[in-house]
Amino acid sequence: MASNYPPPFDDPVEVREGFLCPLCLKDLQSFYQLQSHYEEEHSSEDRDVKGQLRNLVQKAKKAKKKLLKREGDDRTDTGAQERYESFSYGGVDPYMWEPQELGAMRSHLSDFKKHRAARIDHYVVEVNKLIIRLEKLTSFDRTNTESAKIRAIEKSVVPWVNDQDVPFCPDCGNKFSIRNRRHHCRLCGSIMCKKCMELVSLPLASKLTSASKEALASHTSPNSSPNSIHGSRRGSISSVSSVSSVLDEKDDDRIRCCRHCKDTLLKREQQIDEKEYTPDIVKLYEKLRLCMEKVDQKAPEYIKMAESLNVGETTYNLEHANDLRVEVQKVYELIDALSKKILTLGLNEEPQPHPKTLQLQRMIRYSATLFVQEKLLGLMSLPTKDKYEELKEKRKQEMDRKLHMERQATLETQRRLEEKQKDLVSRSTAAPNGEVPYPKRGTVKKSEGWLPTSSLPRQREIADPLLQQIDNITSFIKQAKAANRLDEVRMLQENLRQLQDEYDQQQTLKAIELSKRQAEEEEMQREQLQVLREKEWEREQHKAMSQHSRTRSLDFREVKQHQHESGKENLNQIAQSLDLDTTQMKSSPSSKTPSPDAVQKQVPKENSVFPIKPREGPQYIRETDQNQTLLLNPFEDEADTSQVEDPANTLARDSSQVVSLPTKALHSDKKEYNPFEDDEEDQQTNGATVYAPNPFEDNGNSFQKSVNDQNSGNPFEGLSSTNPFEVDDNEISGEDIIEEELLLQQIDNIKAYIFDAKHSGRMDEVEVLTENLKELKRTLAKQKEKSKC
Amino acid sequence: MNVVFAVKQYVSKMIEDSGPGMKVLLMDKETTSIVSMVYTQSEILQKEVYLFERIDSLNRETMKHLKAICFLRPTKENVEYLIQELRRPKYSIYYIYFSNVISKSDVKSLAEADEQEVVAEIQEFYGDYIAVNPHVFSLNLLGCCQGRSWDLAQLSRTAQGLTALLLSLKKCPMIRYQLSSDPAKRLAECVKQVITKEYELFDFRRTEVPPLLLILDRSDDAITPLLNQWTYQAMVHELLGINNNRIDLSRVPGISKDLREVVLSAENDEFYANNMYLNFAEIGSNIKNLMEDFQRRKPKEQQKLESIADMKAFVENYPQFKKMSGTVSKHVTVVGELSRLASERNLLEVSEVEQELACQNDHSSAHQNVRRLLQNPKVTEFDAARLVMLYALHYERHSSNSLPGLMMDLKNKGVSEKYRKLVSAVVEYGGKRVRGSDLFSPKDAVAITKQFLKGLKGVENVYTQHQPFLHETLDQLIKGKLKDGQYPYLGPSTLRDRPQDIIVFIIGGATYEEALTVYNLNRSTPGVRIVLGGTTIHNTKSFLEEISASGFRGRGAESSQVTARASSRR
Repeated sequence: MASNYPPPFDDPVEVREGFLCPLCLKDLQSFYQLQSHYEEEHSSEDRDVKGQLRNLVQKAKKAKKKLLKREGDDRTDTGAQERYESFSYGGVDPYMWEPQELGAMRSHLSDFKKHRAARIDHYVVEVNKLIIRLEKLTSFDRTNTESAKIRAIEKSVVPWVNDQDVPFCPDCGNKFSIRNRRHHCRLCGSIMCKKCMELVSLPLASKLTSASKEALASHTSPNSSPNSIHGSRRGSISSVSSVSSVLDEKDDDRIRCCRHCKDTLLKREQQIDEKEYTPDIVKLYEKLRLCMEKVDQKAPEYIKMAESLNVGETTYNLEHANDLRVEVQKVYELIDALSKKILTLGLNEEPQPHPKTLQLQRMIRYSATLFVQEKLLGLMSLPTKDKYEELKEKRKQEMDRKLHMERQATLETQRRLEEKQKDLVSRSTAAPNGEVPYPKRGTVKKSEGWLPTSSLPRQREIADPLLQQIDNITSFIKQAKAANRLDEVRMLQENLRQLQDEYDQQQTLKAIELSKRQAEEEEMQREQLQVLREKEWEREQHKAMSQHSRTRSLDFREVKQHQHESGKENLNQIAQSLDLDTTQMKSSPSSKTPSPDAVQKQVPKENSVFPIKPREGPQYIRETDQNQTLLLNPFEDEADTSQVEDPANTLARDSSQVVSLPTKALHSDKKEYNPFEDDEEDQQTNGATVYAPNPFEDNGNSFQKSVNDQNSGNPFEGLSSTNPFEVDDNEISGEDIIEEELLLQQIDNIKAYIFDAKHSGRMDEVEVLTENLKELKRTLAKQKEKSKC
Repeated sequence: MNVVFAVKQYVSKMIEDSGPGMKVLLMDKETTSIVSMVYTQSEILQKEVYLFERIDSLNRETMKHLKAICFLRPTKENVEYLIQELRRPKYSIYYIYFSNVISKSDVKSLAEADEQEVVAEIQEFYGDYIAVNPHVFSLNLLGCCQGRSWDLAQLSRTAQGLTALLLSLKKCPMIRYQLSSDPAKRLAECVKQVITKEYELFDFRRTEVPPLLLILDRSDDAITPLLNQWTYQAMVHELLGINNNRIDLSRVPGISKDLREVVLSAENDEFYANNMYLNFAEIGSNIKNLMEDFQRRKPKEQQKLESIADMKAFVENYPQFKKMSGTVSKHVTVVGELSRLASERNLLEVSEVEQELACQNDHSSAHQNVRRLLQNPKVTEFDAARLVMLYALHYERHSSNSLPGLMMDLKNKGVSEKYRKLVSAVVEYGGKRVRGSDLFSPKDAVAITKQFLKGLKGVENVYTQHQPFLHETLDQLIKGKLKDGQYPYLGPSTLRDRPQDIIVFIIGGATYEEALTVYNLNRSTPGVRIVLGGTTIHNTKSFLEEISASGFRGRGAESSQVTARASSRR
């Protein structure tokens, strides 16, 4: 190899050059020599000449690279190159050998089972025999029966060995005498001395017999708890000691037996115990694994989202990604808490657990930490709202450029195609009729000549085919109306209705599924709560209870709110697409914050990915119906909406303030808006608004109410797992930071929601949201204080 | 043909088969090292294996909520332990895997002990060897021979290890062995016997060219294990000693506590994987790069932790950072110690003379150089002894052999009796009389010219000019030129094509220099895959121990010359 020696060696640097044979690196003095050498020595070798040549090239490269390196050129670059090169020799690096199948193996299981079965049969018969006898011995009332009678019964159960046959104790070998008397095992009839005698207490006996009875009746035995087992054992031990002082033949509450029978019985007892008993560690561990599975499932989803968001794609919604991030992080915290709980299991108990148990607990904790570390590492951060807008804008421009190019090309071809097909299709009598729930967009377009162009760029982004269709058809309707083809309009509207029905159904199904899952999760979380409430939490409790709880509940609502929000946005979108005026109207406020267009684009997508709550469905249909039939635009005028709001808000305590302020003012002054409303009032507002005359408002509030209901249904402790103070001590700073970041993100989100809500004229929501915002800001401030000290 | 992967697959399969839940891995002494070579603790933890227990450990607690995976060698003691375990089971379910063939009667006695029906699986998984690198395996046996014949227990263990290797790679090979070595022949026969007996197991899909097992004897090349090494893996083993991928650094002056013992495993250490076959100089510069890379990262994180985003980035990068700092400190320590030893023991100069002794035939210059170094106080007695050993091996029958003079020099230098005796022991072990092939003088014209040219032109690197004898053997084998006379086939059939899958096994131990040779052969010859094995992996120290353990005691310095002559007369 043409390697030379850089320091630390001070040897003369030696680079081989000249006529080197590429195969053996022998230096030949001239080209001819080299040629003849190659022919002589290597002609017979059927080596891969190409590989050798490549080899040579690699070497040359390497040499060059080395030179570069010495000159202090980019080092990381060469490192990567080197790694790559190590795999590209003529042969194969053993690390790169193609994967092989699993090596040979041989199972002895069937053989093993055969032998075992024979043995087990024997063993089971023995045990069962003993238990049947035990049952007979305990089936009568021992305390109230004379000893002679007991003896008679005992002898009838199993024939006793003749005294004369056994002069010595078979276990210890002592000679029997008057002082060392013979005792019979009541279970097998054999003889032993007093020292070797064992006793079976009645509780143990009944436990054994009842367990076997239950097994026969194929019952699960829930009755005997581990405590009672301990009791029975202790009883048997004490009875041994007490019996030594008593020479009385009569055993009221115990049965004499030999060591072997007792051993068998004890083994049996142990088996019974084990069946019933699951230690705490197993329960906790199972939960831990469940959480890990959840992470395995959710984290990739999140990473996909974050990746897409970070390049400015609008496939996913930033808020949703945020939610998911929070969710995943919650699970991480749960894992952390659970594993910590496992770590400390039994540490405060006396006696201390076996060192191996402790080792096991430590290992579980360690692996959980590893898991969190490894997975958390992959959990990339999300762009902030502003950054995201920037990214989105950039991407949009890029896409637009591309789209423009494409469209120009396709438009040409499309036009030609249409012309060709027009008369062809029109001959077939049926225009897309109402029976088909999914009328092909292409056919509609071709036969009727309606182009869904007005919303073309937006549709590109919509993933759900149903929504796409709805969009298309609405645009068709518009065009048809413009062309004054009323029959077609009717037909299209019929189509539209069916589509919407279909969509609603779909959404409801999804929502049901989701709510089921949520219910499960909530239950699990609630279970965890009891376990997870920790010291830090208590520390916080000395603060005003109400405030604390509000923080929590608001925190929670925020999440819900968001779902609610998305539903609404969706609604807006539909309404807009139904009404031409809307877009015009929208254009003025859109300049301020996130362009509604962008939001609209995201929403339907997001729906397809994240099913919305069930209530969204019915509401939605009513909404659209309304729009269709009345052609009334709910967003026509901001003043209009605020008027509608008024009656609702008058019921609120702070209503005067709200009412007096025109929406615009509110918009700018939202920070002055009274944030010290508490939950109760909130609900009041909602309750009131339900009765508001506006059907539109009505929908919105029933919505909100259900949100609130959910809130109260879910105890706020449910969120205590998010408690940032619960984190491992050594990680505390890091976790805190993340938490802070999350808060900031949330605040951003809420600001956006407020804007949105205002835009669509939902004053009550604006209220709630503003309050949320305040709360969040307060928590953030608190956190900052805490992290400072 | 990847032996690490083969064993790893077995272990993974065991763990998978036992399903979810907390698990304990019950092993014996040998299987513990087998598993530890292919799985790291954190890796296996993620598969829910939380405890590692020895079957012979008395301090095990009953934990019925654990599943037990038993991976054991099928020895008498292990079966007995297992029987005791099954009589009073400590865990809920047992999955039993033996690393080799187990007798039917043992299965029966186990079955009879399992009264509580806790055994769910009993299988043979043939991971019965230590997988060192993908192409290198070892059996960790020291002192496998007594004199020139096998220690019987070691023979059966070696045969078991080799057959397990074949089974795990699913190869039913043709066998060739070194004719000059009796142990090689015995081993070949033993392996063949097992293959015949367990023909059902060895019934694999036939490949076009059958695989080849070549059994060699260390005594044919006693030079390689006596040389100082300059590639990373080999050097670490030579100077510090690698034991199941672990390096004991406790004797390094001023070592920090957590670096007392470090693990060098190519499986999880990217830097090591990329550098283990590079020479010391290259590693020096690579480690510098690694450090720089590390330092570039470091201050960045400490500079500005003002914004939340910065802090978050820090937290997210922290584990990676920590891991990297672990790697950096490990390799910096190891390489630092290597270079300290190299300068302290004057290894560059020593090695140069060693290489000259091993590769060139200039007696007078070699003799001069050895004498010169023996006078050097920096050269340790160990290195001095090995120089004389190399001289003795090479110029054993040279007309102007002046070994007695060198032995006197050794004595004057104060080299202990033990080492002086070893000089003659080495000659006895691997001298010309024993060697089946010529280690030093080239055999054919081509080789002669090669060597001549080498002498004329100088070599690229004085310290790594030595090529193990194995290289030539394998080269000829690959070309189909290896002489049947010297390396006969066992049995009537011979290989007509050139071999593709080759397993080389060296009785008496392989070396990391040979591992490197095989690695390079694998990389440079397309279509050929070679796996190298040995009863152990030697460095000079362990090699000399092996020689003493095998009963070559030497006869004291002064009489060695007589021995050599006497033996040559025979």
